[in-house]
Amino acid sequence: MIRRTLKLAWFKRNRYALTVVAIALSVAFIVSTLLLTTSIADVGEPLRSAYDDVDVVVTGPEVAGGDGPVQAISAPVPAAVVADLTAAGRIAVGLADPYAQVLTSDGQAGGQDQAAANVAEPWLGDSPLNGFAIVEGAAPEVVGEAVMDVSTADAASLAVGSTIRFVTDSGVQEARLVGLATFGGSDNDPYTSTLLLAPEHPIFTTAEGFQRVLVADATVADVAAMVSGMEVESGADWIQAEQDALNDFLGFFSTFLTVFAVVAVVVGMVIVTNTFTVSLSQRTQELALLRLVGTTRRQLLSQVVLEAVLLGTIGTAIGLVLGLAGVSVLGWFLDVLGLVIERSNTISATALVVGVIVGLGVTVVASVRPAWKSTEVAPIEALRSSEADLTDGGTRRRMLTVGVLAIGLATLAWGIAQSDILFTGVAIGAIFLALYLGADSLVRIAARLTRPLLGRAGPTGTIASRNLEKNAGRTAAAASALMIGIALIGFFTLMAATIGQFIAGDAGEALEADLVVQGIGSQPEPALNDDVLEQVGSVDGVEIVVPLYQTSVSPVGDVEFERAGPGGGGGLGVALTDVDALAQAYAFVLNAGSLDDIAGSSVAIDQATADGFGRSIGDTLAVTSLAGPAELEVVAIIETSLPGSPQPAIIGDLSLRTTLGYDDPATAAYIVGSVLPGDVNEAIDLPTVEVVSRTDYIDGLSSNLDTILALVYALLAVAVLVALIGIANTVSLAISERVGEIAATRAAGASSRQIFWSLLAEFGLLAIVGIVSGLVFAWIAAASLFNALSGGQIGTPEVDVLTALLIVAAGLSGALIASWFPARSAATTDILDVLRAD
Amino acid sequence: MSDQTDQRNAPPATSSERTVARLVNATKRFGTGDAAVTALNDATIEFRKGEFTAVMGPSGSGKSTLMYCQSGLDRLTSGHAYIGDVDVSTLSDQELSVMRRSTLGFIFQSFHLVPALTSRENITLPVDLNANAEVDEAFLNELAVVLGIEHRLENLPSQLSGGQRQRVAVARAMIPRPDVIFADEPTGALDSKTSGELLAYLRTAVDDLGQTIVMVTHDAVAASHCDRVVYVQDGVLVDEGRNPTVDDVLGKIRELS
Ligand SMILES: Nc1ncnc2c1ncn2[C@@H]1O[C@H](COP(=O)(O)OP(=O)(O)OP(=O)(O)O)[C@@H](O)[C@H]1O
Ligand SMILES: [Mg+2]
Repeated sequence: MIRRTLKLAWFKRNRYALTVVAIALSVAFIVSTLLLTTSIADVGEPLRSAYDDVDVVVTGPEVAGGDGPVQAISAPVPAAVVADLTAAGRIAVGLADPYAQVLTSDGQAGGQDQAAANVAEPWLGDSPLNGFAIVEGAAPEVVGEAVMDVSTADAASLAVGSTIRFVTDSGVQEARLVGLATFGGSDNDPYTSTLLLAPEHPIFTTAEGFQRVLVADATVADVAAMVSGMEVESGADWIQAEQDALNDFLGFFSTFLTVFAVVAVVVGMVIVTNTFTVSLSQRTQELALLRLVGTTRRQLLSQVVLEAVLLGTIGTAIGLVLGLAGVSVLGWFLDVLGLVIERSNTISATALVVGVIVGLGVTVVASVRPAWKSTEVAPIEALRSSEADLTDGGTRRRMLTVGVLAIGLATLAWGIAQSDILFTGVAIGAIFLALYLGADSLVRIAARLTRPLLGRAGPTGTIASRNLEKNAGRTAAAASALMIGIALIGFFTLMAATIGQFIAGDAGEALEADLVVQGIGSQPEPALNDDVLEQVGSVDGVEIVVPLYQTSVSPVGDVEFERAGPGGGGGLGVALTDVDALAQAYAFVLNAGSLDDIAGSSVAIDQATADGFGRSIGDTLAVTSLAGPAELEVVAIIETSLPGSPQPAIIGDLSLRTTLGYDDPATAAYIVGSVLPGDVNEAIDLPTVEVVSRTDYIDGLSSNLDTILALVYALLAVAVLVALIGIANTVSLAISERVGEIAATRAAGASSRQIFWSLLAEFGLLAIVGIVSGLVFAWIAAASLFNALSGGQIGTPEVDVLTALLIVAAGLSGALIASWFPARSAATTDILDVLRAD
Repeated sequence: MSDQTDQRNAPPATSSERTVARLVNATKRFGTGDAAVTALNDATIEFRKGEFTAVMGPSGSGKSTLMYCQSGLDRLTSGHAYIGDVDVSTLSDQELSVMRRSTLGFIFQSFHLVPALTSRENITLPVDLNANAEVDEAFLNELAVVLGIEHRLENLPSQLSGGQRQRVAVARAMIPRPDVIFADEPTGALDSKTSGELLAYLRTAVDDLGQTIVMVTHDAVAASHCDRVVYVQDGVLVDEGRNPTVDDVLGKIRELS
């Protein structure tokens, strides 16, 4: 008796432990993602304190982009604007953000990180417009002196007093580091490595215009009266816009993390509901007995809810601690991946409060329904049958499922036909709901379909199959939890494959260049100036050098077209190059026209752009560029354009640079010739430029994506882990219900191995239902979403059978491992423990 | 019967061809130290083929323990339990399982049918568990008819009465034609009419099929159906008799308590 009591307590403890773990993990997940999101959202703060004296900001009219990977390009503000404002008694300074990348003491590119912009700014001294403050050493007084932000100095291991080298558009320069500065109280200007130089430095005096002009002691109205053709806004508005742009840039992460937090809540809720449903089903008799002796429903309900509150509190407390640790782990993971996302250390109280509300709330809400249903059962009926089914099975649920599914499919058909994102979204939601509601039916169907197969394994197989069918109402929740996790993994895998294809394009086959020279990616693209190109050309073995100048323009007119895939956004990428040379390095598939006709304002566009704008050979395309409006004539249409992000929609001749107002160095170059990357690298000897082989270049095109995917998968792994805990929970609950049956089967001669495998078969099948429905759902969601988002341009995503099998195998192994221990312990339970109990 | 009482300390009975199960100097202790309970105390007994034996004794005297240890469901602290010539303590879990499904049959007070299986499936369970054994359909039908459950074979246990469930359990114990059936208070949960029918059937099985049955019971009427009755007290075999009448048994029980 004692052993049995302990045994049952052990089962119960197990059940509670898993419930607590499920709650804790959900809370930890929510809290850490929220903490990360809020700390990311905070990084615009330094701007505000650095520029609190800036009253007005003048920028040039925006030419292109500002959306997605197409960088915003604004026309420069003429130097005269600053002179006029100063003459009118305003404090004004123009900032050109010239490229300047610090090298480490051992000569490596030494910005804070790869994502940071590397710029030089003039030291503004006591001016209220100076956002920087010296925290060590002194200000740069003469041209040979430099100051840099604390983060950059740390990252490059440079100390005050040392001589530093930095790369600019005109080559490598030297200076003495005389001091370190902070920006608005923070160690650096967000996402920027700044080198502060004396205003007399040639890097500033050669600038022909400014990115922006900061003005103090002025109002928007009077500045607007003094300048024309410029954008004039208040300092506060400008900072807000900058912060919004930052947030846009990080929007993917915030959205993504929020989606995951929601997923965590849903999975957590499914598991907790499941736990309470099952444990209350088992206790129906006990509850009925209490009702018989006069306990009210309300009293029973409060007893159950109290239990939930207790579990919820423990789980939430553990979850909060884990969440605080988790945010560091997430941050660490971002760093390891080289995904540079600046974060503040503020701990948002909101995140903690949300965690508590969710942890406690979900648990209590999840317990109330089954509790209410269990007390609804008439006491005498509950006493008669040993357990009641508290799930909503039955006709009503099935009708609801079919109804929701029908609505979902109908909406989906409409959404696909119209490529409408709203309809598609609603359809996906409805189909998901139908899958969730119908999970028990799916499990029943799977049980029936596999019965002949399982039956062949003997009566234990039959028992497994029958139990799977009988308990489907309860165990299906575990399948649903797994379905959510697998659906997300499947969806992101399909998305990655599709996007990867867009980024790399057909570059793999079309690129014939042997080497590619490119800047080590950062925001004003680093210099491949004429000197560098010349050096490359003089290396032994180099036959052809094809410089690429990449910029962007905005299409003029009410054009609704947006490029599908990651090249989409408000602008069109342009690649300007020596087209004759390019033909040696890149094999275009020509759909119409002739590449030979590309010259001056005559350009090639890719098929997607041609379709999107409805242009054919001889048509013109009106755009706005840095130099103002321009008319481009389409003389060639190519199937796919050069690789890149954004993929250039337009390919033009070098002479078009002037027309489009592009006077920066080249952004990349293709090299044809039999020469090793190392040799070219040596000749250039510029750490901010790298030379890579064709294969490395093509691999590198999607490496950013791979990095982001690694993060996505890490987070998904957590979601799947939560789901697997749900499975383990369900398995041990189901098994604890079934000790009597297992003992009876054992007494009739079943070996523990037979019992063990039949339990594994049962829960493996349950997992397969979840995994397969998750994959199917992922495919439907991905196919229809891509279709809607791309306006029908992206066809159905290709399914990589191997990946699909891998996901199934991984999910199934996870589920089997989760079932392994409870099944093992049930199979080896001493028969007598149970038999003696009666 | 006092003449037979002397046998209780007799030397271990040697295995004869007729012995299907025996305990030799069997001791079973639960717990340790002060809390230790000696449920079986150096008990030696043998069960012969085709014999219907009742095991009787006060509550807590060790009857169930004797049965569980004899059948290999539990392990002795010391001594030996043989099924045929095999010492069950030498068997692995797998071998014990095979023995349970082919050599032994069990009937419990609370039936212990598998709820997910129909009556028929419950009955054939021990045979089905053997990958290469075939159910003897003729024997199954005969059992069902004799036990009066031929119309309930496709029902689940939850759809049967207690008496019907116990008859399914009896059929399940009989189907592999085991060497010995162990029944622990099989009539404990049944009314007197139903238990009378059940006992009559067990008697027939012994007489007609030569089935060996060991039955733990508190019921003198049940014991009177048996060929032999053994009395257990404090883990020791204190007495035994043959072809007992109800009065014999009642008298003995009164004497013991
Ligand atoms: N698992 C166990 N742990 C501890 N003590 C036990 C255990 N099983 C039995 N006992 C003890 O062993 C003794 C014999 O128990 P057993 O179940 O064999 O008695 P019984 O003769 O079958 O009684 P009843 O007629 O009431 O069924 C009792 O004192 C009992 O408390
Ligand atoms: Mg007993």
